[in-house]
Amino acid sequence: MRFQLKRLYFQIILFFTTNLGAVGLKTGFCYPFFYCQACPAATSACPLRALENSVYKESFEWRFFVYPLLIIGFFGISTGRAICGWACPIGLLQRGTGRVARKVKKHPLAQKLGAHRMEKYFRYTKYFMLIGFVFLTSLLIGFIFTDICPVGMLVGTFPILILNPGKFVPNYFFPVALIIFILFIVLIFLIERGWCRYFCPVGALLAPFNKVSILHMEVNTKECLHCNVCSNVCPMGIDVPNMHRDPECILCGKCVTGCPQKIVTFERG
Amino acid sequence: MKKHTILQLIALVIVSGLFIGMLVAANAYEETKARIVEVLCLSCIKLEPKTTQEFTFNTVNNAPHPYFVTENLTKGPVFLHYSEDVCAGCEVMFPIIKQLFNIEFEKQDMFSDTVTFNQANITFIYINLDHTITPLEESFPLYDKDDIGGLPMFTIVTLGYDHGMVRPYYTTLYGTLNVPTDADRTALLQEVLTESIIIYEQNKAGYKPD
Repeated sequence: MRFQLKRLYFQIILFFTTNLGAVGLKTGFCYPFFYCQACPAATSACPLRALENSVYKESFEWRFFVYPLLIIGFFGISTGRAICGWACPIGLLQRGTGRVARKVKKHPLAQKLGAHRMEKYFRYTKYFMLIGFVFLTSLLIGFIFTDICPVGMLVGTFPILILNPGKFVPNYFFPVALIIFILFIVLIFLIERGWCRYFCPVGALLAPFNKVSILHMEVNTKECLHCNVCSNVCPMGIDVPNMHRDPECILCGKCVTGCPQKIVTFERG
Repeated sequence: MKKHTILQLIALVIVSGLFIGMLVAANAYEETKARIVEVLCLSCIKLEPKTTQEFTFNTVNNAPHPYFVTENLTKGPVFLHYSEDVCAGCEVMFPIIKQLFNIEFEKQDMFSDTVTFNQANITFIYINLDHTITPLEESFPLYDKDDIGGLPMFTIVTLGYDHGMVRPYYTTLYGTLNVPTDADRTALLQEVLTESIIIYEQNKAGYKPD
């Protein structure tokens, strides 16, 4: 429990450092997680916006392609997808909505859907989101994901509207973005970490690094009682006893604190 | 040390080295800051600024008008078109502007020309903030009269009479101009340009550039 409290404190501190633009600190770095530079308090750029810039309408700007990937690569190689569990403000938001999602999860229909054999394939949606809406549409037709992004709506559009009353009106992307935003909110209340599991394009960038990262999770399967406590507490819905460097693992450590045998551990190397 | 750990450390060193290299040699930090963090793409925030067409003498912080504006004002009003590479609103406005002034240029060009509108000369200057020079770039915040900080942005500078002096007098329009169709956008720009030409003709005799 104390460990999870530490993680919460860490997430809160990171949330404030993400928003140091509020005190005038604007940098030229890209976040290694999903957060929008349109937020009036944002310190840095969204990595997706840089990637979209790099391929927009068949132009290729290698700097905007390589730069965010190097930042994500650095954190990916060091800690895998721990950024999602420890640093991402949208992860913090979903930690808040997770309580409701965990109650919904107990409903028989939700259990049936959660155990559906298609569920694991549905997780590949985020890779399609990344390739399709960040790269291909930007490259081929000049449509960028940022224009309809629900996170941009949450941390960019709404704060701007609140801070500048009467100064802006919705544009032609607003209705579509609003529908996607509502679906995003419904999703994160219905499925714990639903955005991270199925749709987050930055999560899709970080996920493969779990296979090679220095920090990772290990389960001592020989001593495992298969009580499934770890899987039940996992916010990403991973079958923890059978995982090995699972791309979905966000290294939140809930399985570590939940395991009665203490056989799930953080490992280096 | 295990072979796997050594490979991980090598990968980490390579990534870190390349990252530092990009910061130092490729100017990636400055480019990201200037092109993504500090300038808002108005279509990305899904909003349009509610602005007025009212002309004003006061630039932001009362900074002096740049030389390329004051000098060209001897020939007629000056139209400044601010844009960037990746921006849906800029894509909407780009063909409208080209058609309005009957000119051809590429989105990534630096472009200026003297164009004719309603038999008056207008100096048209296209400023793509991603591909421009410092004096042109520095004029962007100067004319951001409603403190929007977003693109696309259009500034029309004419001449006005102020306390016994003829001075540059401007208005700035933002985004896709907060009207629904391309025809409405063209009509709005024509209206503002016509007004700027009328004011210019009334005041040009008394203008002396600084």
